[in-house]
Amino acid sequence: MPHTDITAILQSINTIILGKHQVTKLALTCLLAKGHLLIEDVPGVAKTTLAHTIANTLGLKFQRIQFTSDMLPADILGVSIFDRQTNTFNFHQGPIFTQLVLADEVNRATPRTQSALLEAMEERQVSIEGQTYRLPAPFFVIATQNPSTQIGTFPLPESQLDRFLMRLKIGYPDAEAERALLLGQDRRQLLEQLQAVISSDTLIELQKAASNIHIAPALVDYVQKLLAHTRESGIFHFGLSPRAGLALLHAAQSWALISGRQQVLPEDVQAVFPSVVNHRLNVRDEHSQSNAIEELLSEVAIP
Amino acid sequence: MNSTVPTKNALLWLMLGLSLAALPHFSYQPMWVFVIFASMLGWRCMAIWHAWHLPSKQHRRMQWLHHSIAVLATVLLLTSYGNLIGRDAGVALLTVMLGLKVVEIRSSRDYYLSCFLGYFLVVTNFFYSQSIPNATLMFIVVTILTTCLISLNDAKQALNSRSQFKLASQMLLQAIPLMLLLFVLFPRISGPLWGLPTDAHSATTGIDNNMTLGKISQLIQSNEIAFRVKFNGQQPAQSELYWRGPVLWHSDGVTWTELDNETKSATLPNILNLGTTYNYTATLEAHNARWLFALDFPNALPLGIKAHFTQDGQLLSDDPLRQRQQYELSAHTQYRFNEDNNSYLADALQLPNNQHPRTQQLAQKWLQQTQLPLELVQLALTHFNQQDFYYTLSPPQLSGDTIDTFLFESRRGFCEHYAASFTILMRAAGVPTRIVTGYQGGEINPVDDFLVIRQRDAHAWTEVWVKGQGWIRIDPTAAVAKHRIDQGMNTIMPLNMRSPLMLSNSRQLAELWQTLRNNWDALDNSWNQWILAYGPELQKEFLSKLGMPSPNWQQMVIWLSVSLSIILLLISSLIFYQRKRLAPVIFLYQKFCNKFAVNRKASEGPIDFADRVKQLYPNNSAEIDRINKLYINLHYGNKSVSIDDLKQAIKTFKPPRI
Repeated sequence: MPHTDITAILQSINTIILGKHQVTKLALTCLLAKGHLLIEDVPGVAKTTLAHTIANTLGLKFQRIQFTSDMLPADILGVSIFDRQTNTFNFHQGPIFTQLVLADEVNRATPRTQSALLEAMEERQVSIEGQTYRLPAPFFVIATQNPSTQIGTFPLPESQLDRFLMRLKIGYPDAEAERALLLGQDRRQLLEQLQAVISSDTLIELQKAASNIHIAPALVDYVQKLLAHTRESGIFHFGLSPRAGLALLHAAQSWALISGRQQVLPEDVQAVFPSVVNHRLNVRDEHSQSNAIEELLSEVAIP
Repeated sequence: MNSTVPTKNALLWLMLGLSLAALPHFSYQPMWVFVIFASMLGWRCMAIWHAWHLPSKQHRRMQWLHHSIAVLATVLLLTSYGNLIGRDAGVALLTVMLGLKVVEIRSSRDYYLSCFLGYFLVVTNFFYSQSIPNATLMFIVVTILTTCLISLNDAKQALNSRSQFKLASQMLLQAIPLMLLLFVLFPRISGPLWGLPTDAHSATTGIDNNMTLGKISQLIQSNEIAFRVKFNGQQPAQSELYWRGPVLWHSDGVTWTELDNETKSATLPNILNLGTTYNYTATLEAHNARWLFALDFPNALPLGIKAHFTQDGQLLSDDPLRQRQQYELSAHTQYRFNEDNNSYLADALQLPNNQHPRTQQLAQKWLQQTQLPLELVQLALTHFNQQDFYYTLSPPQLSGDTIDTFLFESRRGFCEHYAASFTILMRAAGVPTRIVTGYQGGEINPVDDFLVIRQRDAHAWTEVWVKGQGWIRIDPTAAVAKHRIDQGMNTIMPLNMRSPLMLSNSRQLAELWQTLRNNWDALDNSWNQWILAYGPELQKEFLSKLGMPSPNWQQMVIWLSVSLSIILLLISSLIFYQRKRLAPVIFLYQKFCNKFAVNRKASEGPIDFADRVKQLYPNNSAEIDRINKLYINLHYGNKSVSIDDLKQAIKTFKPPRI
C-alpha cells in the first residue's frame, strides 16, 4: 500500500528532523513528483541533515558536493583520463553519478559550474567529449543555497531557478523542538543508524502512483485561473509559465498521494502553491513575496 | 496599512481628474484662480514625493498658511466678482476651494467629498460650452473620477492603476444604454429651470447695430460660424444670397446707426413676393442680439421662433438670442419692397452737417447730368468701376473726413467703404438710400450639404428707394469686385487667411485642411442638430414618431420607468441564467454550503470548508463528510458516480440552526 509506505517514510524522517512536518512533507512531495529541490536558508538549520536523512530513508545512493568559487564543471561531472596501457581515454565519473546529490551552497560556485549541474539535472545525463553517460535512476538533486544577501554568492538566474520544482525555507525550529534537539543525541550518529524504509524500486512505483492521481477538468480550471491571475493582476513582473503550471499539477498530485487521496483537490494545489511558485515570481511592489502569494490564493475563487 | 487613508496612487488619480475638469475654466477665469489651484495641487504633490508638511495639528504653521490662502481667495473672489453668487463667481469659488480641499485630504471621507465635488465641477463646464471637444474631455474626467472611487474601495490593492481605469471605463460603457434612455425619455423643460444669472451671456463676435468704417473688415478675420442653412429643395444662386441683418439709416459722419426702436416698428413693410419660393431651415448661433438673419425676402414669419418684422425689413426675434436657435423660413429672392410709398424717406436722405464737402460736390456735378434716380445710381457705380478703386481686405487707416479721403485719395476699401460712400453720394444727389448689413453668400459643406455662413461672410450693401419700384438693392461692392458677390468670400480670401499659416505654402495641404474642416463642421453640425437641439419640441416630435401619442411628461415618466424596469429585469435574468448554467454539481454544492450559518469563502476548498463547518456542527460530522465525499468524487474524481445520491443527500440534510 503506497500510503503505509509514505507514512513510514515521513515518520522516519521526522525522527531526525524535529518539528518540521510541513517542510519534510513538502520535500517528499517534491521527490515523488520527480522534481529537484532547492533549500534556501541560513547555515545551521539542518539543510544538509534533511538531504542526508531523505537519502538514507529512501535507500538512495548519496553524494555530497560542496560548491566553492574555484570549482570547475569537471569536479562535478567527471574527467576522461588517458590510460597509457590501453592507449585510450577512460572516463572517471564525477560525484554526480549517484541517486541523490546534495549540492551544498550551490550559489557559491561560478555560473559556469552551476550551469553544468543544472544541465545534468534537466537532461538526467552527462555529455562529455561527445560521449553521453546516463545518470542513475531515480536521480534527485537537493541544492542548498545561502540567502543571496550574504557575501561571496552568485545568485542563480531565473531560468535556472525554474529547473527546481520547489524552493523551501526550513526556518528555525520552535522552542520545544529546539529543546529536544539540544538535549537529544547527536544527529550524525542517529543518521548513521537510520535504516532504509523502502527500496529505490518502491520509490519509482510511488512516483508512478503519484502521476496517476486523477486531475479533473474542474481542477484544471482552477489552476488556469491561478496562472491567469499571476499574469493579469499586475502584482508580479512576469506571470507564471505553462511549465510552472505543469510543475504545480505534478506537485499537487504527489501531495494528494501523500495525503491519501485518489484525486487532486484545490486544497492540494493551495498546499504546494507557495513552494512551487515563490522562486518563479517577482513581486512588483514593496509587498513581501510570501504575502503577495498568500493573497493571490485567497483572491482566486475556486470554480 | 490603514485603509482609511487614500493611497498615493488614488491621490494622483484624483488630482489628474480635478486638473482636467478645471482646465477649460482657466481660460475664462482670472489668473489667480489658476495660480491658487495649481499651487495647492503642487503642494500636495510635494507632500507625496518630497515629504513636505501638510496642514495638520502637528504642523500649525502649515495650517495657518492654508487658512490664510483660503481667506485670501475669498477676498480675491469678492473683489473680482463683487459677490459669490452667479455663474462665473460660483465656478471660480468651486475651483479654488476644491484646490484647497485637495491639500486637506486626510481620510477617505475627504477623498469622497473631493471626488463628488469633482463631478460637480464637470457639470459646471457645460455652463460654458457644450461642444464635442468639451464633452469628450468631460467624459474622460468622469472616467478618471470613477477610477478614483474604485481605487479608494480597492483597499487590498488587488488591481493596478491600469486595471482600475479599465474597470471604470467598462462601468461607464455599461451605463451608456441607461444614459441614452434618460436622454431620450427624461422630460425636457423649455428654458432653464432657474433664472440664469445675468453674467451667463458674455460677449460674442458678430454683426453689431452700428457701423464705422473698418468694423466689418475686422469681423472677416473670424472663421467663426454665424449660422447654418439647409435648403429644402432648390437653392438660389450665390449672388442672390443676401442675409439681411441690421439696417442703418443715420450717420454722424463717422458712425452709422439704426432708426430708434419706436420708428423701427411703427409700421410693417409692404412686400410683394415674386418668382420662385425657397424653403430653408436656419440654425443660428447665439449672438445675444435679436436679429434673425433671413434671406431677402421672407414671405411669412418664421416657424419655430417668435419674431416680427420691422418697417425696414429686419426680422427680429422677440427675445435676445442667448442660445443656438433653429427656425424655418420660405423666401423669394425677387420682391417689391414698399413700392408705392415709404413714410420715412426723410431719414433716408439725412446727411451729417457740414461734412463730406468733396463728396457732395461730386454728387452735385452728377445732378447736372441727370435727375433720374436710377441713372444717378448707374453713374456712381460706373464711377467706382471705371476709376481706379480697389477692393481690399486690409484698407488703409483713414483720417479726417473718412468718406472724402476714401473717395478721392486712398480709393482702397472694403464693402463698408463702398456702401457708406455710395449712400452719402446718393443722398447728396437726393436719392433716398439706406445701408443694410448682414451676410452675403456662404459656403456649401460638401459633407452634409449645409450652407455654412461664417463671420467672414459679413457684408454691407445699400438699398435705394425709387417711386413705383420700392427699395432696390444696390451692391456697390459688386461694381468693384464682382467675384466677391458671384463666388463668395472664399475666393477673395488669401489662402493664408483660410488655413493656418504653416499650411498656406502648399496648395494640397491647404485643401486637405479644408476637407478636414468640412468634415469637422459637419460633425459639429449634427451634434448641434441632434444632441444639443434635443429640447421639448424635438423630444415631442421624436417620441410621437416612436409611437407615443401626444407625449407629455407624465407619459414620459411612465415610459422611462417601464423601460428601466425592463432593462433591469433583462440584466437580472441574465445573471440568473448564468447561475443556472453552472454545472449541476456546483449548483448542488452551493445549495449545500448555503445550509450553514457560515459562508464558504470563494477560495476555500471542499475539505477546508468541511473541516471548518464540522467544528460548528459536531453532531453532523458524519453526514457532512459523506456529502463532501460524494461531491469530491463527482467534481474532482474519475469514478462515474450518480449525481442523484448527492441530490438526495443534500435534500435530506438539515443542519440545526445556530
